[in-house]
Amino acid sequence: MRLRGIRSFGPTLWGIALFLVVLAGTAPWIPVFLLTVLIQLLIFSTLAYSLNLITGLTGYVSFGHVVFMAFGAYALAFAVGTFHLHPVAGVALGIGGVTLRFRGVYFAIATLVVAVAASYIVLEIKELGDGQGIILNIGFEPLSWFYTIWVILAIEVILTYWITHGRIGYGVRSIKSDEDAAKALGVNAARVKLFLYALSGLFAGGAGGVYAWTASGVFPQAFDLTFSLQMLAMIVIGGMGTLLGPLIGAVAVYIPSYIFLTVLIGFQFIIIGIVVTLIALFVPEGIVGSLRKYIPELRGILE
Amino acid sequence: MTRVLDVADVHKYFGGVRAVQGVSLKVQEGQVVGLIGPNGSGKTTLLNLIAGVEKPTKGAISWDGQRIDRWPAHRIVGQGIAKTHQIPKPFLTMTCRENVAVAMMFGNHAQRESSKALEEAAHMLALVGLGRKADVMSSKLTVQERKRLEFARVLGTGARIVLLDEIFAGLSPEELRDAMNLFERVQKEIGFGALVVEHVMRAVLTLSEHVIVIEEGMKIAEGSPRAVVEDPAVIEAYLGTEAVHAAP
Repeated sequence: MRLRGIRSFGPTLWGIALFLVVLAGTAPWIPVFLLTVLIQLLIFSTLAYSLNLITGLTGYVSFGHVVFMAFGAYALAFAVGTFHLHPVAGVALGIGGVTLRFRGVYFAIATLVVAVAASYIVLEIKELGDGQGIILNIGFEPLSWFYTIWVILAIEVILTYWITHGRIGYGVRSIKSDEDAAKALGVNAARVKLFLYALSGLFAGGAGGVYAWTASGVFPQAFDLTFSLQMLAMIVIGGMGTLLGPLIGAVAVYIPSYIFLTVLIGFQFIIIGIVVTLIALFVPEGIVGSLRKYIPELRGILE
Repeated sequence: MTRVLDVADVHKYFGGVRAVQGVSLKVQEGQVVGLIGPNGSGKTTLLNLIAGVEKPTKGAISWDGQRIDRWPAHRIVGQGIAKTHQIPKPFLTMTCRENVAVAMMFGNHAQRESSKALEEAAHMLALVGLGRKADVMSSKLTVQERKRLEFARVLGTGARIVLLDEIFAGLSPEELRDAMNLFERVQKEIGFGALVVEHVMRAVLTLSEHVIVIEEGMKIAEGSPRAVVEDPAVIEAYLGTEAVHAAP
């Protein structure tokens, strides 16, 4: 990307940057209990942005994103300390190479099948804890967790901005609008989608790695499909394909479900399900998309 | 040297349906070739084969001496052959300017910088008479404007051979005259070659140097527009038997 003067980056990116910088600057003084909540929030934000890269931008709904998160978690646990993520990128390329051949609902079903299959495969592999998971003994270091996920999220937000504003962004929008017409104008749709899918998988893997680190281990529950559904809920509520939406969605989904986890145990998914259904029915653009739609003054500011 | 699109004995079968049965034709850069034939004669299928949307069952398609018939569509566009859609397919979520900019950034990759492509797209729109609509959402265009946008996008890819699928259909006589003038002007200015599939005889006969007639997937005649319209076989196939007597 050519630097066109930092002012041209737009208020939304500045706003997110300010939010992240303030968090990073105050983190050492935030009480540990609050910090762990914040770390979980950043992990979920990273997951939401990762799903946004493929589902939000191209319109290909992936139900199986939990796979990358879980692989990231297992990758970390299996090779403690080295934090190798390139296996996750490889896995994403492989899965994307197959599933992206499908369109629409068939793609969604294929991702779901992959997610379910992957969890059963991992359960059978002895080296990966033989279905019991792997327990890590790497101590309690909230600040390290915080700054690691912070860096991953910051890179992801910048990449999202870069992708949506450059040449690839136009290619992606053309694919979302009419894939056949896009191909007829020279857009290599398969490559663009695979690139986004792999990138998306990589960041979900990164989030999964940090998740395993904070949980001091990785267990087959990491494959729980509710993670996928939460990610989807976040981008649907926040606004698919937008720069700010996933962050707002992550706050809107995670904070209430945190409260439900401790107060109204088990109710959070019922509430999330109802909210997502209502949003899909009445405000399909989500929070950010609706604000842009109904308040024209915000279009230049909010993205 | 002028490059040539060479379609050699191409066949396309859909199951038992033989849509194209051994058609050969050539289009040179800078040359306008008309392709006519009754409904369902395989014209659109032939364009799809050249553009790489469909793959031929048999036969060869080459461009500038290189076989392109197994290439994916986007790669063929990258080498300078692009097609309009019979029913325009604008990106409805984008402005006209953005629509053309996508073609410029991805077509033959002449302009990869999005800000410059957006700027140049306005010139291309002005060329096809959509200058004032540059920043209008393409969903707001009329059908005829969408056809012009479709044309502007194909030009935006930098194509040296454009495949035009019925861009003159459904126009009033005045609109047709304007559209034909526009086409001639742009064609002279850019110097692309064109394969024009058309039902509107007036357009094909006025604009093309060479006309090919196909029926049931087979070529039944070719030659200069005048020679072709006087060919009894063509008149019979294309206009029906009773037209033979009415022909000039």
